[in-house]
Amino acid sequence: MQEYIKYSIVLLILVIVQKSLMWLIAITDYQITPDIVLIGLVYIGIKKGKITGSVGGFIFGMLFDILSFSFLGLMALSKTTAGFAAGFFNNENKIERYLNTYIFVLIVFLCSIFNNIIYFALYFQGTSLLFQDIVLKYVIPTALYTAFFGIIPIILTRKKIIGR
Amino acid sequence: MKTIISYVGSLKEYFIYSFLVIISLIMVFQNDNVQIRFMRAAAVSVIGLVQSSFSVIPNVFQLERENRNLREDNNSLAIELSQLKEAKLENLRLTKMLEFKERTKYPMVSAKILGKTLIQTRNTITLNTGENDGIKVGMPVITEKGLIGKIIATSSSYSIAQIIFNKDLKISAKVQRSRVDGIIAWEGETNLLLKNVSKSADILEGDVLITSEYSNSFPAGIPIGYVTSLGTIDNLFKKVLIKPFVNFETLEEVFVLKNLSNEERQNLEKKFLGK
Repeated sequence: MQEYIKYSIVLLILVIVQKSLMWLIAITDYQITPDIVLIGLVYIGIKKGKITGSVGGFIFGMLFDILSFSFLGLMALSKTTAGFAAGFFNNENKIERYLNTYIFVLIVFLCSIFNNIIYFALYFQGTSLLFQDIVLKYVIPTALYTAFFGIIPIILTRKKIIGR
Repeated sequence: MKTIISYVGSLKEYFIYSFLVIISLIMVFQNDNVQIRFMRAAAVSVIGLVQSSFSVIPNVFQLERENRNLREDNNSLAIELSQLKEAKLENLRLTKMLEFKERTKYPMVSAKILGKTLIQTRNTITLNTGENDGIKVGMPVITEKGLIGKIIATSSSYSIAQIIFNKDLKISAKVQRSRVDGIIAWEGETNLLLKNVSKSADILEGDVLITSEYSNSFPAGIPIGYVTSLGTIDNLFKKVLIKPFVNFETLEEVFVLKNLSNEERQNLEKKFLGK
């Protein structure tokens, strides 16, 4: 239980940081920012499995939606899926390998792609943007930028700052 | 039954996921209720507080973009400003020229200087008016400040004038105050020289020189310059240095006077001197 409270606090901090500070490092003309909530969620998904991943994704995605002024439930939907996808990598024998190596970056990239496709495809519904434009301008750049930030948990895990 | 329960139990992750997805989808389609607005208000306050605390930190990428845009704006504004300054100065010059044109009795054509040489012994200016504008060889070139020179070559659209800083140009001039006559010439120095002035002639520093009615090339009364220094050449003649009123280095527009010397007078003088 204590572990879940710890994860919840971390995700809550990540949501606040994401909403309030990430715009400072926005890149490209489309204001792409790394999704640090997703990184935290993937980490928890790998560690705790599909249920924790999807429930965590739903709760903190919903919280994110509340803080935003866009579709309520949209981030919850995308984060639930991303957390659920991360849960597929919850393998007792490989957790350490997944979290300590650059495989984690690949998993973050993959989950970010799922998250972004759902989020941006629905978000841009009804606009003149074509699906391929959404993928090229938002989905892939955001996934790459997020994956880049996925290096941070690896470093922290290796230095045993987290994951104990 | 046990098997079924066990099978369903193994799928609980998918059930939970599906349940959450359905709830999310329902929420997507039912937005903006009162409770959410209230939660949003509270959350926005927290976010706002954090954001305002960190608002002093600049977005490096955004700053770079802004900087680039500002530099571009700055460049275009600098060009625009320079053009406006240029237009203002041109306007002032043209206004003065227009006033001069209106108070002058001679018909004249305004011309823009396209090129000039000021460092040779036979200095000239190239004008953007030519035979199509009625320009002919021998016509005087002036500005509202004074004499410039005269036309020595023309084409259909351009003409060339020799200026007073040209060794080939000699001008009959007189001192406006005392009516003393002389010949103005340039001998390669910074000032012009008034020649043929006897030692006893009444000339003072600051006296204004104008074209003389003895001149065959220029109408009488056009200002040329003023006396800057007086000296002696020998026992008979004075050395009078003249500074022109016109600054040739900054000269941009001129007038060509459509005034040719009297042909009958020229022929008579030629005939007489020929004898």
